[in-house]
This record gives sequence, structure tokens and C-alpha cells, in this order.
Amino acid sequence: MRYMQHGSDSEVRDRSGLLRRAGRLGRSLMWPAIGAFTAAALGTAARLAGPLAVGVGIDRGVAEGDKQVVTTAALVFIVLLVVQYVFVKISRYGIAWVGEQYLLNLRSVVFRHLIRSDTAFYSRSKSGVLVSRMTSDIESLQEFAGDGAVMAVSNGLTVIGVAVAMVLVDWQMAVSTFAVIAVLVGVSVIFQRQAAKAYEQVRERIGRVLAGLQEGIAGVRVVQAFSQEQVQATSFGRVNEAHYRANMSAAKAISWYFPAVGFLRVVAIAAVLIIGGLRVIDGSLTFGTLVVFLLYLDWFFQPIVNLANVYNLLQAAIAALGKLFNLLDVEAHVVERPGAYDLADPVAGEIALSGVTFGYDDETMVIQDVDLEIPAGQRLAVVGETGAGKSTIAKLVLRYYDPQQGSVSIDGADLTDVTIDSRTDAIALIPQDGFLFNGTLRNNLAYGAPDASDEDVWNVLRAMGIDDWVRDLPDGLETQVRERGGRFSAGERQLVALGRAFLDDPSVIVLDEATSNLDPETELEVEGALRVLLAGRTAIVIAHRLRSAERADRVILIGDGRIIADGTHADLVESSDEYRRLVEVWERGMS
Amino acid sequence: MNPGQPDGDIRSGIGLLVKTLRSYPRYGVIAIAGALVWMVGVVLLPVVVSMVIDDAILARDRNRLWPLIAVLIGVGIVQAIGMGFRRYFGFRLAYRAEADLRGRMFAHIQRLAFAFHDITPTGQLMSRASSDLSQIRLILMMLPIVVANIAMFVVVMVVLIMIDPVLGLVASLTFPALVLNANALARRIIRLSFSVQQKLADLAEVVEESVAGIEVVKAYGQERREELRLKNAAVAIYEDTIQIARYRSTYAPLFELIPSLGTVAVLWLGGFRVIDGALTEGEFVAFTQYLAVLVLPLMITGWFFANLPRAAASASRIDDLLSTDPVIEDPAKPVPLPDGPGEIRFDGVQFAYPGGETVLEDMELIIPGGTAVALVGATGSGKTTVANLVPRFYDVSAGSVAIDGVDVRELRLDDLRSEVAIVFQESFLFSATIAENILVGDPRADERGVRAAARLAQAHDFICAMPDGYGTIVGERGHTLSGGQRQRVALARSVLRDPRILILDDATSSVDAVVESEIQEALRRVMANRTTLIIAHRTSTLALADLVVFLENGAIAGLGTHDELLATIPRYGAVLAHDDQRAPGGVR
Repeated sequence: MRYMQHGSDSEVRDRSGLLRRAGRLGRSLMWPAIGAFTAAALGTAARLAGPLAVGVGIDRGVAEGDKQVVTTAALVFIVLLVVQYVFVKISRYGIAWVGEQYLLNLRSVVFRHLIRSDTAFYSRSKSGVLVSRMTSDIESLQEFAGDGAVMAVSNGLTVIGVAVAMVLVDWQMAVSTFAVIAVLVGVSVIFQRQAAKAYEQVRERIGRVLAGLQEGIAGVRVVQAFSQEQVQATSFGRVNEAHYRANMSAAKAISWYFPAVGFLRVVAIAAVLIIGGLRVIDGSLTFGTLVVFLLYLDWFFQPIVNLANVYNLLQAAIAALGKLFNLLDVEAHVVERPGAYDLADPVAGEIALSGVTFGYDDETMVIQDVDLEIPAGQRLAVVGETGAGKSTIAKLVLRYYDPQQGSVSIDGADLTDVTIDSRTDAIALIPQDGFLFNGTLRNNLAYGAPDASDEDVWNVLRAMGIDDWVRDLPDGLETQVRERGGRFSAGERQLVALGRAFLDDPSVIVLDEATSNLDPETELEVEGALRVLLAGRTAIVIAHRLRSAERADRVILIGDGRIIADGTHADLVESSDEYRRLVEVWERGMS
Repeated sequence: MNPGQPDGDIRSGIGLLVKTLRSYPRYGVIAIAGALVWMVGVVLLPVVVSMVIDDAILARDRNRLWPLIAVLIGVGIVQAIGMGFRRYFGFRLAYRAEADLRGRMFAHIQRLAFAFHDITPTGQLMSRASSDLSQIRLILMMLPIVVANIAMFVVVMVVLIMIDPVLGLVASLTFPALVLNANALARRIIRLSFSVQQKLADLAEVVEESVAGIEVVKAYGQERREELRLKNAAVAIYEDTIQIARYRSTYAPLFELIPSLGTVAVLWLGGFRVIDGALTEGEFVAFTQYLAVLVLPLMITGWFFANLPRAAASASRIDDLLSTDPVIEDPAKPVPLPDGPGEIRFDGVQFAYPGGETVLEDMELIIPGGTAVALVGATGSGKTTVANLVPRFYDVSAGSVAIDGVDVRELRLDDLRSEVAIVFQESFLFSATIAENILVGDPRADERGVRAAARLAQAHDFICAMPDGYGTIVGERGHTLSGGQRQRVALARSVLRDPRILILDDATSSVDAVVESEIQEALRRVMANRTTLIIAHRTSTLALADLVVFLENGAIAGLGTHDELLATIPRYGAVLAHDDQRAPGGVR
């Protein structure tokens, strides 16, 4: 089932494999990452050495009454602090830099893959999901890169460093502290599990709240027209309350965890004071060492709590990475074959379908065994009922898909053998709704021919007879197109789409006609522009209107995936019942 | 509410925050009480530690050790309980307030008149009810702890100064330094966060556009161009986030440096004073402990005050929304709508959209009950406006609109709108089943009624052909219906309502000829036995009407049958089949 392969959103099964792939993507950042890490280690070392200076200052300075030692210890401490600051600053920036660079690259890589995927992939994916890959999924990685990575490294190093330092200073007290820490870790794990579940629910429910809000705003006119205000408020109230409850679940978890952590800290202090205190009384421990331990203790607790938070971010990041790599795994099938050759210049524009059988999935064929030869320069109208297969033929000519059987060729060359660039140069599309991009009018017109000069653009506009219309616009060619051309009428958008095709100067034009009637003023201009545009080019018009069929050189009627009738409009009216019926419906719509 | 004005008035914002706090007195009081208890525990802790050190350890008195440790544990328990209450009720306060405000905003938005919604983009309202509300929630959550932090800071300063004035003052210098540092960092980051949000939205737009226009992108082989656009958007984001990283790497480590410098000062100066016998070792340790324990609270306080202006601005935007007048409301003494054929009477009606030019001027029109009337006119002629005035989606500026002899302003809105149903140009369906959507017309109807309405609207067949039939979920997150299908479901919805007056916008512009004729047939059946107003866009619709009203520049330029007008008014013929895409508002 070629076109139905799906990058699923299922759980990340192979975590280590995923991390390896993710790592490979950031290969070039290895040395900077190592550098940042080293700086972090040095900073942590400087930090941990600080209390030692304090310990010495107390034992050999304060206890001995030697002010000189105290001063020296203080100065050493200050130097260590400055060193620490410098290294921490470098490492924090370095880690963030590595993370952001990685993301920058990842965004481009994922998008590149996305944009080059088959049309088939787009038609079976919800666009919202695709967009969220590039936005919210990468953004959760961003959170990790910005905060989480730095926290993970600095806190991780600190925890390790403090643990080592504690053991070196006095292993007995270290062990008793570790016992408390073990309890802390256990408690943190329980909390994380509870919290993760609660947050998952919060995320889901806020989604519903926002959707409910969006819908309530979008449909407010209908709500008022049908006096649904109360009903809406009640059903939104339910969604709102559910979100509140989810929030409070998370709140409950937080409200026991952090006090527990605070209490454990006091227990740890008590433990140090008892064990250490007794040994100081015995004389087997110096007071300074005791103070050092108390200082280290504070540096132990906070990082562990922080690491617990980072764990959550890490989970979210891994889930996001999983989804992104699933996307990267989707293979494009309509690709340029190695050894593909350019179409021979000049391209006449003769299109042929030979024995073409095609279906969007391998089970249902939409068109069966179609043979069609379109001589260069012919204007062909493809008509038929909705779903009969007319736009499918166009999609095959544009090579959005490859047929299961048979071949589509241009000037005798199979589309699968020809380079993509030369093919897109030769064939242009005018879509149903004249899709415009945000940007200037000029950018839209020159979309297929970015090297076109202003003069080229004006020439085309003049040839199509619409230069006056552009000149009358407030900013002329520089008019900003916003909301994808929503401010222009359908007819005006069509004119721009026609201009775009014209500038592309293709040999073949695929025109997917709009089903609605355009406003009468632009209708005439569109007709005129179309006449100029199609002259001398092969045109495949997916027609919805009587006039289009009448104006074509040849009409083919598609029914049930086959060509049922083929000839001029006049021929078909005489010879084909089905065609006559279609014409009757058209005529009824016009009277 | 002025949707174009992003920032609010700080004072009204603080006012809303205070009012919100006062609405949940119990939560607020318990949370702050818990915070203060916690604070006492935090402040006492170093004192007890110093007692343990001085009176037990250094005094070599084992007997004093255990009771003092017990006190320490006790303080720990008190501190934990205080924190628990502080956090839990802080959350309770914040989340409850958030949910209540959101519910109020939703209900209010739904009551605001069309005129408001015409000029207010959805995005603005969404951000009021989501990100602005988040700001308020964050501030409310932080309030108890900030109160405790400030109290703690004051108490600790006093304690330290009592223990040793000189050392106390020196150590206390770290506190404002920490707050200022937090403030400085927060301010810079807040500014950049806004920018990042905007750039993330820009990137999302590039992605959305490329995905929506993928066919054009591929047809013109412009993948590389789109990749470049995305790269630029990604670089723009990078520039901001790396700047944030720069700020963080400079300011964040100061949160450790500053207290550590304080510790150095304590070590140095305190060490000297212990040697001189002016300070005990226990007090010395207490100082270091206080410095450690105050770091986080001071950071939080700094952050809080940095965010307060932003939260106040958000609050004022919400306050703005909540105090916007709905304008169209039930009258103080509503009059019941008498039975009648559905006669519509426009008497000297004048109307202008808010801030716009006059659309209707002194319009007089009587539509007898049971007639089918087509409104024809060019863009801006007023036909949509006329339709919108009947269900009272807007109020006239002069004159009156009456139904069966009663001015619409004197009726209860529910009563009025149960007898006047409208099928808008863009049929909106809720995210629910098809049956539920149709039931919106009359929630008391049964399954038979729903099917009958659907049959009348020529929708029954295609509904049954759907995967789950009437149970198929449509709308945003469901099955996507074609334009013609949506229109017919909307028509069924109105049919079920069985109104006296039916208003239709016949712009079925996104269907093909076959479906179009089915819809026409449906309209013909539905229009029987009621007054119908059709905003006509095509000639074929006019065949359905008994009477045509030709509007030009807000006045009636012709009234009669289609043929009469064709014969007598040349402009009439020219205007027909004009696709009305740029109506100024209302029925769209």
C-alpha cells in the first residue's frame, strides 16, 4: 500500500536509537558541546572548592584566632567565585548556543523533508498535524534546549561534584546524607509520575478549552441567531471545570511534594548536626568540617529537585523528537530517478497517457486503462460528474502521483524519466481558488520565474490585458497580498494566478476551473486573459461550465474512471446521451 | 472595548486583580496564613541550628543536643505544613479565579452584538481568554509567597541586625542586590519573549501557507524558495533566543555570586568578630544559613515585580472586555409576540454600521406575511443589512422594524429569534453530530422531526450516505462537509425551527450545477407557508420569489416581480449574478 504508509504518532519504542539519530544530526556541534561541558565542569569544581576555603578559614583561622588565615581564605574564596562565574557564564551560553544551533538546523531539515514529500502524503495528513510538527513539537524541544539542557548539565555536575566532595571530606557524614537523599529521590520519582499524568491531562483539557473558545467565538452569530447562549455557556462550563479539576490534580501533587522536600532538608540538617555534632564533641571532627557539610547540603538538595523538573522537559522533548523523526522517515515515492534527463528544448507540449490505471490506494482504482493523446497546442476540456476522475488526470500530468500501471509522457518522454526542474518549467498549474501567497503582488506573479524583471512582469500584464487593473491598485505591483488574497475577489485572484502561469511560460497548462461564477466584471477580463494565455500552448481544462466546453478544441467526458466520450462539443451533444444530460444541468444553472 | 489597543490602563488592571482576590477571601486568607507560618519556620530554622551549635555541640553538652534536634524537626514540620497550605490554597485561588473569569468572558462574548464581532478579530478574543488570563493566574499564584517573602526579608534583616548590627547590614546588602538582579533579568527576558512569540507565529504562518499551497509550490517547483523562507524565519527566532541565552548567562549566575559574596563577607568580617569574641560560632553559622535560604525567595520576589505590570495590563484588557456593553439586550418590559402571518414592516429606517457611513436612509418597506421576497442589489446596496435588522442583530439608528405589528426592540430576543431564522452565507456547524447540529434549531424535537427537516432541506440522502449517518461528527474536528452539504444542514436546522420568517443568503457559490439545482429545490419546499427574505445572487433564485426588492445605495430603487423590473430598470439586469464577496459586515 504505497501511498498509505503512515508516520504514526505511537510511542517512542527505540529510545536509544532515537537519541543516536538525534545525535548524528548535531554532529558538527560536537566540539562546541564538549567545550561547553568542560567549562561547566570547571565552574562546578570552582564552586565546590569554595566551601573548602570556608572550612580552612574556620578551622585554621577562626578557631586558632588567626585573622591572617581568615583573610587569605576569604580572598581565595573570592577568586574561586570569580573563576566560577566566568566558567558558568561561558558554559551556560555555550550549551544554549549548541541547543539553538541544533534547533535551527532541525527546523530546516524537517521542513525540507516536509516540503519535498509527495502530494499523497499531504492529502492523507491533517494539515494541522503537519504544522504542529514544525511548531509546537519543535517548540517543546526549544524549551529543553533553552532551559532544560543547561539545568541538566549544571545541576547534574553539581550533584556529582558535591557527592564526591562530601565523601572526600568525611565519608561517614556523606553516607548519612546520602540516605536522606535516597528518600528524596524516591519521593521525587513518585511525584514525577503523578505530576506527569496530571500534566498530560491538563494539556489535553486546555486543548479542549481552547477549541471550545474558538468555536464559541467563530460561531457566535449562529449562537445568537438560535438563542444558544445558555446552552453554549453550560457546555463550555463543563469543559472549563474539567480543566480546573486537572489543574487541581497537578496542584495537589505539587502541594505535598515540595513541603516534603523542605522537610527532608531539615531532616538532613538534623542528621548532619547529630552525627557531626557528636563527633565534634568527641573531637573526631573539626567544627569547620561540620560547617562545610552544612554548606554542601544546601547545594545538594536544590539541584536534585531541579533535575526532577528537567526530567519532565526531557520526556516531552523525546516525545517530540520521536514524532519529528517519524516525519523524516516518510519516504517520497515521486522522486527524480538517478540519471533523469532534462526535457528537450523547445518543449512542444504533447501529452500522452498510455494504459494508465491509477488509484489513491491500491484497492480502489479511480481511472482504469486510460489512453489519451493530447497534441501540442490543443485546448482540451475534461468534464464529468464530481469524483469521476477529471482532476485525477490533471494530477497525473502534474506528476503529483505515479500511476499504478501505464505511463504519462510529455513530448514522448515518460514523466518518471525526466528531471523535476525541466518538468515544472514545462507544465504550469492554475488551481481552483487561485492560491496566493502572502507577499507582494509582484512576488506572486513572478512565483515561477523569480528572475523575471519588472519589465517582463508588465509585458505579461499588458498581454493579458490587465495592466490597467494593476496600475489602478494603490501600490501597483508592490501591493501587499494578505490573508492569502482574501481581500481580492475570486476573479482577481484568478487573474493573478493566470499571470503567474504566464510568466512561467510553460508549454502545458493545467487549469482547474472554479466551480462558482465569478463576478461579471472580472469574468470578461479572465476570459480575455485566458484566451491570450492559452494561445499556442497545450491546455488541460477541468471544466465545470458550459462555456469552457464550448470554447475548447476537444472535450472528453469522464465517467466511472474511463473516457466515455471524446470529440468537439458539438459532436458530443449529438452523439452522447450522458454529455447531453450534463449540458442540460449546466444550462439550467444559468437561466 | 477597543480591539486595536493592545495595552491597557494599569490601574483598571490592578483593580480587577484586587476585585478577584476579594472574591475568594477564604482561599486568599488561608494561603497567606500558610505562607506566614512557613516563613516563621524558615526564619526560626537557622536560629535553632545556631542554638544546636552553640549550646550543644560547642558547649560539648550531649544532653542538650537531642531536645534541640527535636525542636529542629518540629520547626521543619511546621514549615512543611505552612508551605503545603500556602501552595495548595494559592493554587486553589489562582485556578478558581482563572476558571471563573474564563467562564464569564465566554458568556459575555456570546452576548456581545454583531457590531462588536465585526470589528474584533477572533485572535484578540482568544488571547484575552488564554494568554492574558494565564498572566493573571501566575500573579495570583505567586501572591501568597511574595507576601511571605517580603515579610521574611524584613524579619531576617531585623534578626541579623539584632544578632550583630554591622554584620547584619553587610549581609543584608545582598538582598536588594538579588531582587534588582531578578528584576533586571526578568524585564529583559519579558521583552524578548514577546518578540519570540511573534516570530514563532510568523514561522507557523510560513509553514501553514506552504502546506495549504503545496500544490502550487510543487507545480511551480518552488520547494527551495519555501525552504529559504522558512530558514529566514528560523534564523529570526534564533537571533532572539540566543539573545535570551546571552542575558541569562550573564545574570543568572549572579544569583549565586551575590549570596556567595555575602558568605565571603560573613566569613571574613564574621570570622574576625568570632575571633574577637563578639560573635558566637553558632551565630556565625546562622548567618550563612540565612544567606542561603533567602536566595530563592528573593529571586521570586524580583520576578514577581517584574511581571506585575504585564499582569496588570492583561487584567485591564480582560476588564475592558467584561465591561463592554452588549448593546442588543432584552427590553426592560418585553411584549409577547402575537400570532401572525409574519408581516415585516420597515418604517423610516435609518442605519449605519458603527463608525461607518449610513447604509440605509429612511427606508419604508412592507412585506406581507407569507410572501417570498428577493433582495437584489450590488455590493454595499444594503440587502445584507436589511436582512440583519429583522432578527435584530443590529439596532436601527432611526425608525423601526416591526413584525406582525410589534417593534422588534420590544420583544424578548429569544421570542424574536425563535420566529425569525436565518441561514447565513457561511454556514457554521458546531463540532458535534449532524443530528445535534440540526437539533440546534429546536432542541425539543425528536429524531423524526430531525429527519423530516433534513428531507425538506434535501440533506437526508447525503447524510445517510455518510459513514455514521446522522451520528457523523462534523465541524472543526470532524468530517469536512462540502459547501453545499453544509448549507443544506444549516437549512435543515432553520427548517426544524419552523419560524414565521426565514431569511436566506443564497450564495451557494461553492457548489457545482447539479448540487445547486438540488438546493434550489430544497429552498422552494422550505419557503412554503412562511415569509421568506432571500438575498439573491443569481437569476435562478429569483424564480422562487413572489416579489423582488431592488436596492441601490441603501434605498429601494424598484419593487415588483422579476420580469417587471427587468423591463423597467436597466441597472437591475446588470447587477444580477454579482457575487457578493465584500459585504461590510453581518450576514457573511
